[in-house]
Amino acid sequence: MKTHLLALIALTVLSGLPLSSAQAHGEKALEPFIRMRTIQWYDVQWSTQTFKVNDEVSVSGKFHVAEDWPISVPKPEASFLNISTPGPVLIRTERYLNGKPWTNSVALQPGGDYDFKVVMKGRLPGRYHIHPFFNLKDAGQVMGPGVWLEIGGNPSDFSNTIKTINGEMIDMESFGFANGVFWHLFWGALAAAWLLWWVRRPLFISRYRMLDAGLEDELITPQDKWIAKVVLVSVPVLVLVLNTVTANRYPDVIPLQAGLDQILPLPAQVNAGTVNVDTLKAEYNIAQRAMVLQVKVDNRSQGAVRIGEFASSNVHFLNADVADAGYNPGKDDVSNNGLSLDNASPIEPGEQRTVTIEVRDAAWESERLDGLIRDADSRLGGLLFLYDDVLGKRYISSISAAVIPKFI
Amino acid sequence: MSAQIPISTFKPYRGEKARLARAYDYLILVLALFLFIGSFHLHFALTVGDWDFWVDWKDRQWWPLVTPLIGITFPAAVQAVLWDKFRLPLGATLCVAALLIGTWVTRVFAYHYWNYFPINMVLPATMIPGALVLDTLLMLTNSLTITSIFGGAAFALLFYPTNWPIFGMFHQPVEVANSQLTIADLFGFQYIRTGMPEYLRIIERGTLRTYGQYATPLSAFCSALLCSLMYPLWWHIGKWFADTRYLSKI
Repeated sequence: MKTHLLALIALTVLSGLPLSSAQAHGEKALEPFIRMRTIQWYDVQWSTQTFKVNDEVSVSGKFHVAEDWPISVPKPEASFLNISTPGPVLIRTERYLNGKPWTNSVALQPGGDYDFKVVMKGRLPGRYHIHPFFNLKDAGQVMGPGVWLEIGGNPSDFSNTIKTINGEMIDMESFGFANGVFWHLFWGALAAAWLLWWVRRPLFISRYRMLDAGLEDELITPQDKWIAKVVLVSVPVLVLVLNTVTANRYPDVIPLQAGLDQILPLPAQVNAGTVNVDTLKAEYNIAQRAMVLQVKVDNRSQGAVRIGEFASSNVHFLNADVADAGYNPGKDDVSNNGLSLDNASPIEPGEQRTVTIEVRDAAWESERLDGLIRDADSRLGGLLFLYDDVLGKRYISSISAAVIPKFI
Repeated sequence: MSAQIPISTFKPYRGEKARLARAYDYLILVLALFLFIGSFHLHFALTVGDWDFWVDWKDRQWWPLVTPLIGITFPAAVQAVLWDKFRLPLGATLCVAALLIGTWVTRVFAYHYWNYFPINMVLPATMIPGALVLDTLLMLTNSLTITSIFGGAAFALLFYPTNWPIFGMFHQPVEVANSQLTIADLFGFQYIRTGMPEYLRIIERGTLRTYGQYATPLSAFCSALLCSLMYPLWWHIGKWFADTRYLSKI
């Protein structure tokens, strides 16, 4: 009684606690060196974040496949651009990589640049936290920036009709369901009949005693044997007949399709050679939560450039002094003005300059990027954005370096 | 084992004894049903797994090889008990029926209502015809060897044609993204599965490359051979687990 009372009190207290829905997909759980040095997302945008059932929504953006791909992570020879959703609350209707439609997995090239677009359609109303992300074979899921999508409308309005090559229009939500249920019921009825034939008579103790007494022949009657013979012959014949009927009904079927798409990278967008950045050293000050990068910038462009942003694992460290620096935010991307330079003056055309960049923000800790120093492969990776204010150009470098921790 | 009862002195239960024995039958039947729904379903989900979960995994090479091979395990073990101790030829059918009950409950409640997948995307396969053949063959031959060889083979060979009336229609071609897919493949592309990238599907991987495009019969016969070996293995596991030492005390 006392235990029951305690349980009741505990249940009452627990039921009064505020519950919040999950707001993440474990994107911080993946080791930082994988998040920072595999798929480097940027310019990711959603067409809308509020729409209705049956309305289309698309996510588009770019990613660079890091040159400094971790040795412990298998090369991206089979990768799948996916969408993290709590079940198919959206359906994926189209997907493009470098402008080409594709449905399978793809082999990516380290150092390659790609743009992507995924078109979806609202299926179930609700508020969902959605990311584009890459499934990397044998490595894990590298998340792109996530957003909250609000799908309104009525779930019963959803429709998904497609046309087969033979011209038949089918409703994907119900196609083949009634047929499948029919055949399960058909075979289920035969199974039930066979089981009932036996369980209608005394079973375990009675049969065990009779078998033990040597009355085996009385347990299986001639009628049982006759029925068994009918089943033994008729069931396989029926299976083969039904199979033939189906094969004739659908003569133009094909096997399941599986293949790896080969889509070449775009002309270099990152590390394009106009403004080169070479990382000389990286130190992470744990107490200050600051990464200090020493980089050598070689400006071969026509105009002066300034370092405006360092982005890694969907965290954007911005230089507040550079007006153009910024990004089109996914709503739960992390951004801050944590980037500062030892020399803020623009790097002139033809100039080579060694710059010390301090990237200081609590995001290193809150986004669990500082876990890098406890990784076996404690190398940093990310994209450095440089801006030409006059010509309105942007140059991107994928940088990487071993990180030296400063514990004090 | 209990002591042998001479035929001449054997007296069937009557009256209260018969009623109690019958009540015991029903008790065991209900318990067995739930036991097999749970255990066989769990065993099947952990081993056959995606091949049975998704319509776009039911390929012509691995699905007809893996599914009967795993599907014959519990039926063989339960047959060993029910036939050997009670001469009840229903072990295979009971197991497969229990599996299907568990599978349908999961597909409807877990996959459809909980995770929003359309049920037609997660239709289960059936092995009932193969189970009926296993039960009847064992009953008519009373032979482990014959049931292993011919019953095991039939269980595997009947699997694909049994299920083609359910899944054949999902293999009609569709043009999507400048390529051809089956309707089943399109389900996999459209209905988003976060943990199921396309490359995880094991479709036509292997070395069945020198026999033209007849992957299914080859897989089915390979499965038949393996089922013939799997059947006696699990029969003996079933016998090993079967214990009637307390029956003599009833």
